[in-house]
Order: sequence, then structure tokens, then C-alpha cells
Amino acid sequence: MEITAQIAQTLVAPATYKRLAYLLTALILGPVWFAALVAAWSVCAGLIITPFVIPAMIVLAYMTRGFAALEAGIARALLDVDAHAPAPRPPRPGFWGWFRGEFSPGFWRAQAYLLIRWFAGFPIAVAMVTALAVSLATLTAPLWVPFVHGGAQLGIWRPHTFVQSLVGVPLGLVLLPLSVLIAEALALPFEPTAASLLRPDAEPARVAVSEGKPVRRPAVRPGQALEVHAAVDAGLVAVAIVIWALTSRGYFWPVWMILPFATALAIHAWFVLLADEPSVVARFRGSRVLAASTGIGAALAAFMTLIWAITAQGYFWPVWPMLGIAIVLASELLAVLLLSPRRAELTERIETLETTRAGAVNAQDTELRRIERDLHDGAQARLVALGMSLGMAEQKLADDPERAGELLAEARIGAEHALKELRDLARGIHPPVLADRGLEAALDSLASSTPLRVVVSVHVAPRPAPAVESAAYFVAAEALANAAKHARARQVDIRIARIADLLELEVRDDGVGGANPDGTGLQGLRHRVEALDGTLSVISPRGGPTTIRAQLPCE
Amino acid sequence: MLLRDGLTRLLRDNDIDVVAAVSDGDALVREVVAQRPDLAIVDIRLPPSFHDEGLRAALEARRRVSGMAVLVVSQYVEHTYAQELLADGRGGVGYLLKDRVMHVADFLEAVRRVAGGGTALDPDVVAQLFSRRREDGPLERLTPRELEVLSLMAEGRSNAGIADSLVLTVGAVEKHVQSILSKLDLPQSPTDHRRVLAVLAYLQQSED
Repeated sequence: MEITAQIAQTLVAPATYKRLAYLLTALILGPVWFAALVAAWSVCAGLIITPFVIPAMIVLAYMTRGFAALEAGIARALLDVDAHAPAPRPPRPGFWGWFRGEFSPGFWRAQAYLLIRWFAGFPIAVAMVTALAVSLATLTAPLWVPFVHGGAQLGIWRPHTFVQSLVGVPLGLVLLPLSVLIAEALALPFEPTAASLLRPDAEPARVAVSEGKPVRRPAVRPGQALEVHAAVDAGLVAVAIVIWALTSRGYFWPVWMILPFATALAIHAWFVLLADEPSVVARFRGSRVLAASTGIGAALAAFMTLIWAITAQGYFWPVWPMLGIAIVLASELLAVLLLSPRRAELTERIETLETTRAGAVNAQDTELRRIERDLHDGAQARLVALGMSLGMAEQKLADDPERAGELLAEARIGAEHALKELRDLARGIHPPVLADRGLEAALDSLASSTPLRVVVSVHVAPRPAPAVESAAYFVAAEALANAAKHARARQVDIRIARIADLLELEVRDDGVGGANPDGTGLQGLRHRVEALDGTLSVISPRGGPTTIRAQLPCE
Repeated sequence: MLLRDGLTRLLRDNDIDVVAAVSDGDALVREVVAQRPDLAIVDIRLPPSFHDEGLRAALEARRRVSGMAVLVVSQYVEHTYAQELLADGRGGVGYLLKDRVMHVADFLEAVRRVAGGGTALDPDVVAQLFSRRREDGPLERLTPRELEVLSLMAEGRSNAGIADSLVLTVGAVEKHVQSILSKLDLPQSPTDHRRVLAVLAYLQQSED
């Protein structure tokens, strides 16, 4: 019964309809992107031996980024994934440095995404519109069929009267949710596609959440999705064939359902195959994008050839779209050859390292400045005052011993304050208990020094490297301080677990949320975590609660 | 170094005989075994690694010489360490911030108390334990004055010591103590040290 509940849940979830809307956007955007990219690449190819190729390529780069920005917005809004238009590489000096920066790996990923929206998205959108239209028309048949003169043509079924058309209601009642479920299944592969293709270069791909939005679990697991898709397709086709068989049995119109369904199913199966079998991707020089496009291109070519075959035949018009597909595939192959995956990977890695190193150095610099300021304003000043009290006491010792006693007491209090300040400062640099007893004791001690109720759960055996431990500690400390200071929280849960080579930390409070992930505190933490190749995400919608998650690799 | 010499001077000035002043944990254990002093004062951080060798040496000394009183001093106090020190359930344990040395009279009182088999826990450790109390826990039933008395009990003070520091009569303190023990459902304990352990155990469990 669990699957029934799951289906019911899927049918009422707003996310399901957002995904459907996402699929339908390809109806317009897919052709636009395809036409624009084919045109732009053709112009570039045509101008390749003239200097005009440079401005043409710049236009292409800006166009791609603009398209990708729109697509990223759509993916964020409708698929709830963390998609962003790829930014150009930080420019190197000179015009050529800037020019080459425009064609970052992100540019090629955006290209791939736009093409996928056409190759996979468009046929899916057409199929979805057909499925929705047929289901709605059959469902509402009794409402409008009686008013159509001479009966309505619903495919090959031609009800004439209200009673006849009543048959459509149960049919539509089955077809409509089925279509929605198909949409849910078909939209699934687009989520990882959007998240992995539409992202800035430097950011690690593991960041799967954006501010304010929790990660949503799909109702159907990706593994199941293909089976659900195939079953639903088969069911719909079977229904169509039954309708055809029960009615005129003239022209075999269900073929127009079978063709797009089969194409979409083939593409889906290809994606699943690519995800499960790395060896297949390896054949395409390790480029997932090229492998995906090739499969989609082949499916599309077959689709159009079949359409040609079952229609008038005659002039072989599919040659033109196939030529377009060939051009796109050739350009992708060229891109893959020029920018071999190994090189692209290394380039990206170097960029990540450059960014995170700069961040780490900055964070360290800021921290050192803070320490210097604290020492200057705190302990140093107090020691000066203490010295003064002692000097005056020395002076007064002979003729005013009572006053000298007071001054000495003052000096002692000053020394106590200075000690306390130094202790707090040292603890802020590196708490000794962390080195001596590890994360659990350190977090325990941290918890007992805040007014909040803190529940700590730590499972980190074997102990991670000191740098990882202290990064995790300071993420927790900062999160705790924020919870007390800004979020007005009452309770905080800290969970740290080591899962194989990954230390996962989660701090969740019950405060009012609205934390700014770009504030100095969180930014400093992010730099600290990224310098260790980790990721940090802050989920803090207005109204709360705030969850801060960090993942730190540890060998 | 600085602290060791300072402490030696402070103790000698107050008629306490300092039989040895050593610089690392091994030497401490050796001297304790050889000389059987009334008390060992140990810094938590000692060479070579400056982590918690002092604590380990103190525990080792207590293992080798039964009933050896140790007073651990540190730049920081952590209740985890206090628990480790008190784990064997025997008296003669002290754990204080180095800052407390500045209050010479109080410090000497703590030194004598620990040497006599009592307990001296730093107010900061006690505060750490108190800060984890629940809003609806039984500690909320105590009056502010009783809370004060309870934290002084946790530090290891005797009724007379508590009376001194709160400017009360011993009789008044005894009444408070009775009331606290019955409110928290704690047993009457024959010695101050037992009482400390009961109070600390209570504070430990109330944190969960």
C-alpha cells in the first residue's frame, strides 16, 4: 500500500506540477535554443577563416550565458535545484586571456544543457501536451460532445451523444493522473542534469542546496523511474490500441502515440545506462555530455526517419534536421577533443584551488587582525593599567599604606581580567580540550558555556586530522554563537558523524532564521571548510529554522 | 617555570614545606613515590607535548601512591577533566584555574583542604555544570540562596567554609544544606567529599 500512498502524495504535491511546468517550458524554449545555437555555430563555422569569427564567438558566448541564466532561473524555481548560469573564468591579462576565459568549462556545460532541452525536452513536452490534452478532452467529453454537431472526433473514437461520451469520464480519470505521474518520472533525470551542468566552475559539484530551500526527495527513485516510465507508456499505448480496436479500426492512429513515447523512453533508457555504466561513457572519451547528445541525436534521427517512413515518404526531409544534429555533435566532439576531460578536470581543479586558497588566506588574515586588535585593546591595555597601579602602590607604600593596599587589590583584579581575556582569546584560536580530548569533549565544553540548550551527538571514530576537527569545531561554535545572538534560538542540535572518509556536521536551531550566508562569519567558515576541500551550506529561510551543514573529507 | 618558582615561594612564605619542584610528569611520579608528600600540585600542561601530561601524571601518582592528594592547576578548566580526576571516587582532589593563586588566602585554604583529603573544584567548573540545567529541572525549585550554597558545596567547601564565604552562621548553612539535599533527593553524606561527589553526580545526570 506504500506505493499507493506515495502516488497519492505525488499527485497532491505542488512540486509535481512545478516539474510538469518545467517539462512544458521546453515546448517553446527547446526550439528557440536549438535554432539560435545552430544559427550561431553555423555563422561561426562560416566565418572561421575570417577575423569576424572572433566577434561571432563573443556573441555566441554571451548568448549562451544569457540563455543559461534564464534556464538556471527556471530550474531553480521549478525543479528546486541549485542551478546558476556559469560565469566566465577569471580573466587572464590581455584580450586573448579574457576571450579564452569566456569559453570556460561552464560555457560548454551550458551548451550541452541547452541542447538537451531541445533534444530530450522538446519531444517530452510534445508528448506531455498530447497526453494532457487527450486526458482532459476525454474527461470532459460529456460537457462538450453533445454540443458538437455530428459528434466529436476524439482520435478515432467518435461519440455523438452525452451518454456515449460518458465513457470518456472514467478513461480521463485514469489518463489524467497517469500523465501527471509520467511527467514526474520524466522530469527526474533533468534535476541532476540541471544541477551538474548549470553551475559555476569553481564551486564543487557536491553543493546541492541553495539558501532557504531544503533538498527535496523525489517521490520516485531514479532507479525506479525508468520502470515507471515504461509501464505508464505501455499502459497508455495499450489503452489507445484498445480504443482503436473497439472503434473503426481504420487508420492506425495510436502510432502517433507510440512514436514519441518510444523516443522519449529510448532517451530515458540511454540516460539510465550512462549513469549506471561508466564504461559506456568512457567510449565517448569520457564525456558524459557527448555520450548523452549522441544517444539523443540517434533517437531523434530514428524518430524523424520513422515519421518519414509512415507518412508520405517521398522527399527525404529528415536529412535537414539530421544535418543539424550532425553539426551539433561534431562541434561537441571538437570541444571534447580540444578540451579533453582530463585537462578540463585539471583546469577546474586548479581554479577551485586558486579560489579556495585565496579564501583561506583572506580568512586567516582577517583572523590574525582580529587577534591583534583583541590583544591590543584587551590584555595589553590591562597590563599597562596594572603596571600603573603597581607603580603608584610602590610610591604610596611608605606614607599611605592603606591607599597602597587598595591599589594592590586593584592590580590583582586587573590581572584577573587580563588572564580571563587571554584565556578567551586563546580558546578562540584553538581550544586545548579539542587537541587533548577530541570533538565530543570540545563541543560538550562549548555547549556548557552557552545559555542555550544544546544537544550534542558525536560519532567520529577514528579521529580525523586536527585541521578537520578544528574546522568542524569552529563551524559548530560559529553556528552556536549565531543561534544565540541573531536567531534568538532556545535549543540547538549538533550532530557530527564520520561516514567512511567524510565528516558530516549538522547544526540545527529553532530560531527565527534569515541568516545571511554571505556575512563575514559564515563566509570565513566557508573559506575554512573549502580550504579542506569540504562544502558548507546554510539553509535559513525567514521564520526559521536555520540548518548549517558541512561536509569535510578526511582520510 | 615562572609559576613553579612563584608557587614555591608563596607556599614557603606560608610555612608549607616544598619538598620538590620538578618540570615534567615522570619526575613528578618519581618524586611522589620517593618522598610521599601530603600534596602534589601539578600543571595540566607539561613537556614534552604540552597537552594533558600533567593530568595523566597526577592520575598515575594517585594510582601508585594510594590516597595521594593532587591539586591540578590550569590556564583552562574543563568539566571533562574534573570528571576524570574525580572518577576514582576518592578524596584529595583539587582542580583550579591558575588565576585562583592570586587570592592567596582562598588558595591556601584549598591547598590545605585537598591535602586533608577534601575537594577543591574551580567555580568555573561548577558554573559549567550549572549552565546545563534544564528549565524545568528540579534545580529550579531551589531558592537563589540555596543555589549559591549548592555551588559552594560542589566546589568542596565545608559548612563552615560556606558560612564564611556567604557571611552566614553555620546553623543557617546547615539548614540550607538540609533543604537542598531533600529537594534534590540526595542522601546525607558523612564526609564533605562524599557530599561533593553526590552533588556532582546529580549535576551530571541532570544535564541529559
